[in-house]
Amino acid sequence: MENTLNENVLEVKDLQTRFRVQKRVVNAVSGVTFELKRGKVLGIVGESGCGKSVTAHSVLQLLPKVGHIENGSVMYYPKDGEPIDLSKYGPKSKEIRKIRGKDISMIFQDPMTTLNPVYTIGDQIVENLRKHEKLTKTEAKVRVIELLKKLGIPNPEIRFNEYPHQFSGGMKQRVMIAIAMICNPEILIADEPTTALDVTIQAQILGLMRSLQEEHGTSIILITHNMGIVAQMCDDVAVMYMGRVVEFGTLKQIFTEPKHPYTTALLRSVPVLGMDSDEDLETIEGSTPDASTVFKGCEFAERCKEARPECFKRFPKDTFFEDGHRVRCILYEENENG
Amino acid sequence: MLKYLAKRILQLIPKLLVISLIIFLGLQLLPGDPITRTISPEIYKYMTEAQMEQLREALGLNKPLIVQYFTWLKGILRGDLGYSQSSGSDIASMLKGRLPSTIELAFFGLIVANILGLLFGYIAALNKNSFIDYLFTTLSVIGISVPEFFFGIAFIMFFALKLKWLPTGGRMAAGHPEFSSRIKYMVLPVFCLGISLIATLMRFTRSSMLDVLNKDYIKTARSKGLNETEINVKHGFRNALIPVMTLLVFRLPILVSGTVVIESIFNYPGMGSMVLDALSAGDMPVVMITTLVISAVTLVASTLVDVLTAMLDPRIRLE
Repeated sequence: MENTLNENVLEVKDLQTRFRVQKRVVNAVSGVTFELKRGKVLGIVGESGCGKSVTAHSVLQLLPKVGHIENGSVMYYPKDGEPIDLSKYGPKSKEIRKIRGKDISMIFQDPMTTLNPVYTIGDQIVENLRKHEKLTKTEAKVRVIELLKKLGIPNPEIRFNEYPHQFSGGMKQRVMIAIAMICNPEILIADEPTTALDVTIQAQILGLMRSLQEEHGTSIILITHNMGIVAQMCDDVAVMYMGRVVEFGTLKQIFTEPKHPYTTALLRSVPVLGMDSDEDLETIEGSTPDASTVFKGCEFAERCKEARPECFKRFPKDTFFEDGHRVRCILYEENENG
Repeated sequence: MLKYLAKRILQLIPKLLVISLIIFLGLQLLPGDPITRTISPEIYKYMTEAQMEQLREALGLNKPLIVQYFTWLKGILRGDLGYSQSSGSDIASMLKGRLPSTIELAFFGLIVANILGLLFGYIAALNKNSFIDYLFTTLSVIGISVPEFFFGIAFIMFFALKLKWLPTGGRMAAGHPEFSSRIKYMVLPVFCLGISLIATLMRFTRSSMLDVLNKDYIKTARSKGLNETEINVKHGFRNALIPVMTLLVFRLPILVSGTVVIESIFNYPGMGSMVLDALSAGDMPVVMITTLVISAVTLVASTLVDVLTAMLDPRIRLE
């Protein structure tokens, strides 16, 4: 019974995140809703600047000083214990610090800059572990070396005492994964974890994440702009455009029956194996509008091939389908009515 | 780390040799008979031409320059620094009385400047764009632009003459050579000497700290659930210190030359006043030898700072 109640480990509802840059207000995220199912991988996809990274940072309140959550809730349902609304605590509060790194941890885009250059990688992993669990230094070291071995880092006993500049990019990202996974978190948020890596290393890192996830039952939010990675890794997908989730569904729903014109266009712009070599890839015309633009209607209307006059006049509402598929487009609102 | 330390100490040797060579050549260019700088003028006065020729032979002053250089260098290492042209006293014993007091002044000036400069910079960075930040940055402009002699005079007027808290000058109370009696005399000169360094360090620490706080690894630290102090000190400040150290190396000679002005304002019996006397009397041997000593002290100090930087930054240490 408990299980059915807690099918979702994280529910983000109507999240709005704003940035104030010298009196100018930018709505980076304006009303994002999605659910992360326990033990599953949720992909958040979209172009650069669509707010996917800000959404991820909002969950743990790791936003820069100028950004803050304006509205909405981020409900976290721990395996044992009461649900917690993370958006209600301040970014420096004790409550949120207890969750960071322990229940929910994060991996970032560029492993070259996310490790502190002056501490050994062992120190940096142990730091997270000992922050949240009462362990002696030796006990912690044993745990860390065990994990490093599992992550395929050769000679973990020696490398434990080495500094980040002695590691390659792929190895550094493994160390970041070790920092994130050392406390066996329930949720791992990976913000474009492979964007800065070579393609061959990308596959290894994704494979590692997948196997850790299967072993520990960790739920993952994977942020990417790469549809290939989504297809390979995710169970559910949220497609974002201009700070909103325009379509949400299972991997199969999104890939086989995409509903939103933006999702369709996005999928058509990716090369597929077996495609005719003289077949042109489709591009989405125009470019992403500036984040501070104020819209009267659908944000995508200007670039949309199926736009109607109505699309420019009012905001679309979410349309829910019976199989859980969700789309934010005027075209489907009408279908529902008719 | 030990390997790095050994390397840096070994590197000191050629640097010191180059400086000594420059000083030696400078001494050679001086007008007049070099024998007047080599022996005490008391003896020189009563010598005949033949005796002098004999002495030149004995001292090796007729030999090629390179041989003379090594003889001179051997003498320096043994503490035989030659004689002053104006007073005739031997330079080594002149230094013995002066050098410790200057090192004392510069050392405490450096310590005070470091503690305050780093602290103010750290506070200003963490309170960016607040009242305290504006206050510190404004004060630092004054600290950098107003010359130290002004502060010296102002301090004497205010703290010594008006409030009578501290003595106007000197190094210790008559007949009290112990350190505790010297502290009172050191406060004002140390602060005057430190002001410009405090101001520069504060600015540099502030911008370095702000730079570091924007780094991705600060976000990583935050994502581990560390508290603000752990993030700012352990991950922020430690990294912010590295470029500040480099600045410190370049400021060291300025600190030493700063003592010249400060010492004469506070009537402090150190190297500074000795250099000033020698300069006005045209006593070049004294000027040259003090230059040698100051350069050597600066070199050793900057090596120490380099070692400190290496302790902070493994990328330097393990190169």
